[in-house]
Amino acid sequence: MSQVIVNAIVSAAGYLLVGLGFALIYSTTRFFHFAHGIVVTAGAYVAFALTAWLGLPLWTAMFGGIIASALLGGIIELSVYRPLRTRAASAGILLLASLGAYVALQAVIVIAFGSGTQTLRAGNVPEALPILGARITIPQIATIVVSSVCCLFVWLLLTRTQIGKMLRAVACDHDLAQVCGIRGESVIMAAFLLGSSLAGLAGVLLALDGDMTPAMGFQLLLMGMLAVIVGGIDSIPGAALGAVLLGLTQNLSAWWLSSKWEDAIVFAILILFLLLRPQGFLGKPLGKVTV
Amino acid sequence: MEYLLHVFVLVCIYAVLTASLDILAGRTGLLSIAQAAFYGVGAYASALLAVRLGAPFLLTVLAGMVMAIVISLVVSLPSLRLQDDYFVVATFAFQMIVFSIFTNWMELTRGPLGIAGIPQPVIFGWHVNNHADFMLLAAGSACCAYVTVHRIARSPYGRVLHAIREDEVLARAVGKNTLYFKVTVFAVSAALAAMAGSLYAHYITYIDPTNFTVMESILVLSMVIIGGAGSMWGPLVGAAVLVILPEALRFVGLPSSVAANIRQILYGGLLVVFMILRPRGLMGKYAFGKGGTGK
Amino acid sequence: MTALLDIRNLDKHFDGITALDDFSCTLGEGEILGVIGPNGAGKTTLFNVLTGFTAPDNGQVLLQGNNLNRLSPHKRARLGIARTFQNLRLIRRISVLENVLLCFKDQPGERLSNVFFGWGHCRAQEASSRQKAFSLLRQVGLADKANDPADALSYGQQKLLSIVCCLAADAQIILLDEPVAGIAPKMIDKILEMIQGLPKQGKSIVLIEHNLDAVMQVCHRVIFMDAGAKISEGTPQQVRDDPRVIEAYID
Repeated sequence: MSQVIVNAIVSAAGYLLVGLGFALIYSTTRFFHFAHGIVVTAGAYVAFALTAWLGLPLWTAMFGGIIASALLGGIIELSVYRPLRTRAASAGILLLASLGAYVALQAVIVIAFGSGTQTLRAGNVPEALPILGARITIPQIATIVVSSVCCLFVWLLLTRTQIGKMLRAVACDHDLAQVCGIRGESVIMAAFLLGSSLAGLAGVLLALDGDMTPAMGFQLLLMGMLAVIVGGIDSIPGAALGAVLLGLTQNLSAWWLSSKWEDAIVFAILILFLLLRPQGFLGKPLGKVTV
Repeated sequence: MEYLLHVFVLVCIYAVLTASLDILAGRTGLLSIAQAAFYGVGAYASALLAVRLGAPFLLTVLAGMVMAIVISLVVSLPSLRLQDDYFVVATFAFQMIVFSIFTNWMELTRGPLGIAGIPQPVIFGWHVNNHADFMLLAAGSACCAYVTVHRIARSPYGRVLHAIREDEVLARAVGKNTLYFKVTVFAVSAALAAMAGSLYAHYITYIDPTNFTVMESILVLSMVIIGGAGSMWGPLVGAAVLVILPEALRFVGLPSSVAANIRQILYGGLLVVFMILRPRGLMGKYAFGKGGTGK
Repeated sequence: MTALLDIRNLDKHFDGITALDDFSCTLGEGEILGVIGPNGAGKTTLFNVLTGFTAPDNGQVLLQGNNLNRLSPHKRARLGIARTFQNLRLIRRISVLENVLLCFKDQPGERLSNVFFGWGHCRAQEASSRQKAFSLLRQVGLADKANDPADALSYGQQKLLSIVCCLAADAQIILLDEPVAGIAPKMIDKILEMIQGLPKQGKSIVLIEHNLDAVMQVCHRVIFMDAGAKISEGTPQQVRDDPRVIEAYID
């Protein structure tokens, strides 16, 4: 049982990292950036390429992976979303473009790296340390620590700093923020760079502990998205809460029923939340359609 | 020649799928990523009834459509009250759940093993067992789907669908029960997608869950958007282009594993390019998304 | 005159702003009631509550004695309440004629079953609807633009079209939200003349306007609102000369 809890927290940490980046981008641009998933995958695979093909030391490779993710996120924003925004694209069009980008980029990764699993592990399977009757590996501990730190960092950023205020101003009303002297485009780019770095971090840490596949980002994105929606899309503490709830649900249902149904259960919970409490646990009530 | 007929049949099957999604997303503005789920429901219902109970083709098609309609009601009645973004997420979640059921409910669907030996259609004594016959059946089905969608679009019911897409608040203010329209069009969309699924099952005679993934939903969506959502010929053109173009790649001599991925790059890339350069698609008159004052 | 619409003690608060404050009034048959007041006075909120888009915190709206509470907007529209919007809602991508056709009630072609199994009946009904729509457009001089997209009309013509749509819906009560704001004087006269003729057709009107001349000209009775409350009520002259109204405007 304690293993279930440990696993849940480890999963939650991963989802939280991905969800944080996604939420950051959503709060600034108000659309679902599905391509965030491929940014996660890219981080892991670039790190892999750096260490397995170029022989760079692991830490350098990981750092390189995170940078690559940030760059990829920025490039997607620059080449896809920004042109669309200048053409006054609706959120639906942005979402479609995001899906298109995801699909295309995942295929690129498959062509470059093959569709099988790879790993970033240095050497053998990491040793599992015993804690309170459960076992946990060092990369897993790292994931939990890093994720918590990042969560705190993003929360402080959004609520206590000038930059955070600007991010939220641009989210509420782009034009008005512009009038107040906030360069909307720069703020949005900053959100993408930061959010994508978090995604890269998630990809790299998770690849360290387990296997990587080209579709890994998709799974993680979905979970991150769920966590953020369940917790309340405008709330960082909510995202953390949502991630923990998700991790618990997934691992508990795997333990009680069978791991094959954990996906279906998790998505069913998402649908329940959307129907009963779309603002999530801690989010603000969604505004009704203005007339 | 057989190969060309095969491509033609595929185009027809996808034409039914694009028609089904266009009436929902193109005409009513309801973006959905669940089309593959209903496609799969039709395919599995047909396959199971044919293989396990020996039911005749027309009956399996009908059963698939009815199942899809029932399931669509379960999804739509609660979810259609959600705001746009969240409705899309709900359809996404639904698609993943259905895929999970196809993959994991081994007793019913045999999971990843799939269902093989689906009999080819026999319609009142007409054995559809060669490519030419299938071409006729597929073309006929595509025509049915298109006639249905066009009649709906040209009717007063269709007028309300367009109004919902453009300005739902206005539609409600003039007395339209928009929930009724959205639920019924979702059901029609599901039924048509299921019809395509039945066709596919009886044509390829083998189905497994990998045919009905979220990627497939996104593919159908790409076809609709690139062809031109909400237009008369757009969905058909989109289906044709996105089926034929990647097939043409086969002749360029790429190894088949790479070809599959190039195809995906094509779908995704075209979608992005079209959204930026020509959001109304090839044949559309207006860009997908809300027009007028929207919300 | 019996009260057609009876509005009782409406309260509505949004996030600290009082949009409606114990607001009550009545609308008689064949009456043109004007509602004026500074921006943010709650006028459009009043319309939203009447049409069911916003639920009041307290209070009731009675239509011919029947409580409308919790009836959805489309049901209220079917009971005979039509409205125009401050930001002018029309389906711009479809034709002028189609916009009018959209508003007709009880079209058999709007039921999916009829689309497939009663197509002949639908076609006949549609033909007669088109004739009615054309005649409505002819009455306001828009018939020649019937097949143009609504987008192609001038702003004033679009406002006129939105009123025609209310007539197409065969509404008994028509709520007009700033029908003459932002349009040229000639069109203003045309629209006001049209509004004045509506009671003879059995319609009752509630009119929100900032254009006080227009209000003086067409309204039988006027209500002045500020901060959600009814400050003054009476004939146009009475309200105009009411010292409380003058004071509120100067503030």
